[in-house]
Amino acid sequence: MRTDVAARGPEGSAFARASSRGARHFVLGVLGVLVLGIVWQIGTWYLVSQPETRAFGNFGPIPTFQAFPRLWEQGRIQSAINASLVDRLATGLFIAALIGIPLGILVGRSKWFREISHSPFQFIRMISPLAWMPLAVLVFPGWNWAIVYLIVIAAVWPVTYATAAGLAKLEPAWYKVARNLGASRIQILKEIVLPAIAFDMFSGLRLALGVAWIVLVPAELLGVTSGLGYAIKDARETVDYSYLTAMVLTIGVIGFLLDSIFVALINRYSWYHRRTAS
Amino acid sequence: MSAVPAVAEPTGAVWLDFLKKWARIGGTKIFNFVAGLAILVALWWLGVWYITLDPALEHFRSFAPNRAIFEGIPAMWEFGGIQRGLGASGYRLGMGMLIAIAIGVPLGILVGRSELFGDMTHLPFQLLRMVSPLSWEPIAVIAFATWDRAIIFLIVMGAVWPVMFATAAGIAKIDPAWFKVARNLGAKRLHVLTQVILPAVTYDVLTGIRLAVGVAWIVLIPAEFFGTRAGIGYTIEDARENLFYDQMMGMIVLIGVIGYILDTILVQLLNRANWVRET
Repeated sequence: MRTDVAARGPEGSAFARASSRGARHFVLGVLGVLVLGIVWQIGTWYLVSQPETRAFGNFGPIPTFQAFPRLWEQGRIQSAINASLVDRLATGLFIAALIGIPLGILVGRSKWFREISHSPFQFIRMISPLAWMPLAVLVFPGWNWAIVYLIVIAAVWPVTYATAAGLAKLEPAWYKVARNLGASRIQILKEIVLPAIAFDMFSGLRLALGVAWIVLVPAELLGVTSGLGYAIKDARETVDYSYLTAMVLTIGVIGFLLDSIFVALINRYSWYHRRTAS
Repeated sequence: MSAVPAVAEPTGAVWLDFLKKWARIGGTKIFNFVAGLAILVALWWLGVWYITLDPALEHFRSFAPNRAIFEGIPAMWEFGGIQRGLGASGYRLGMGMLIAIAIGVPLGILVGRSELFGDMTHLPFQLLRMVSPLSWEPIAVIAFATWDRAIIFLIVMGAVWPVMFATAAGIAKIDPAWFKVARNLGAKRLHVLTQVILPAVTYDVLTGIRLAVGVAWIVLIPAEFFGTRAGIGYTIEDARENLFYDQMMGMIVLIGVIGYILDTILVQLLNRANWVRET
């Protein structure tokens, strides 16, 4: 009984529908964020109205947004982002991809390796990453490398298993066809394997980002004196609540932007041309 | 393993049977399970052995697997660190997951069923999801009276999103015809919920819960590093501060084992709840 949308009009109206849907999405999204802000403001009003929590007024949205220009001028946001994103997160994710993708190809292609590696990999995967912290601090020369290690040990598994799952979906006949057409090994890798598993690889990297993002902040709460996690700790210790909420908001916004980059990559490399409902 | 019978033939029937049995076990699930873990422990042991070749690093010997498993874990068991830690952490994890499910499943159903609600909450929920759970820690400590509650709050902030988004994804997969059929058969709203929606999304909800337990497990340990005096995160931090490296390594092993068991249980539940039978 479903009316066939595509059959009803020419291409132009389909485009118009898509863009009006996009506009609707955008408007409702902004509205949703506004509602969140209002709930936040009402919560703050409630806190201020109670005598014992009067001091927490700076948790509210208005002081928080007023704190941004000050923090930006002091360079705190920039330096925290630089330390967390460039030095730690990007390095960690890069190493995780460098280890995880070949490991995933091995898991996906060799039945023997898949079965023998299952128990040790699952065991290591389920060691909570931060449990490595005391050991990592002893083994690595600096805090920075200890944090990178924690990110790698957390992020390598989604990459590995997503890559392996992508390989499992490859049609064996494709290899035959490629070989019959005279493709070399490198050509098979470049023309068949990589395009086929790009979607799964980026899905794995998106999951890896999510885990790394959870690990990064607590890792920075200990020891280091730079980064987003440290900024949070610094704000709490100096009892600067608007600084604290501004940093929490910054973490959410940056995490959202990074996540959106991976969603865009996933949609770009999806064979099905179906949008990922993030 | 495959060359074994040829070599063993002259040594007699008992040996041959024994080796044949092993050759048969080789390649089975249990064999691979044990062999994989044995390789891991061997690599660990070799690493520690290599490091302690240098006399200056002699004290790192307590990092070895035998020390961790046969000295560290029994010592912690004796003074009760493991039992107390598991009790405290288990309570937080359980409460956190319960609350996350109690909030996440209804929210997920709302997001999946109502287009307006789904579109409107997409952006704010994504924003909140990408706030790393531990960044709520200072706020949680101020807002909640006890450490237990603050840690449970952090777990909920990490675990609610996978449950919610998985539930919503499960709802999106339900064939709209089922609702029509149910309505035609005279089902009320409550019936639709209990007879159609909930059974259909059980698998996806469990998938979300599995992801959520993974996240909660990551959040739990660092949350217990600060302030609290009980829990597996505290036990590991305590062992480090006292330089009991065998206990520290033993605790890492225990955390891995418990995580593995939790995950395996959830995978078993998932397999049971999977109503899409592959042919």
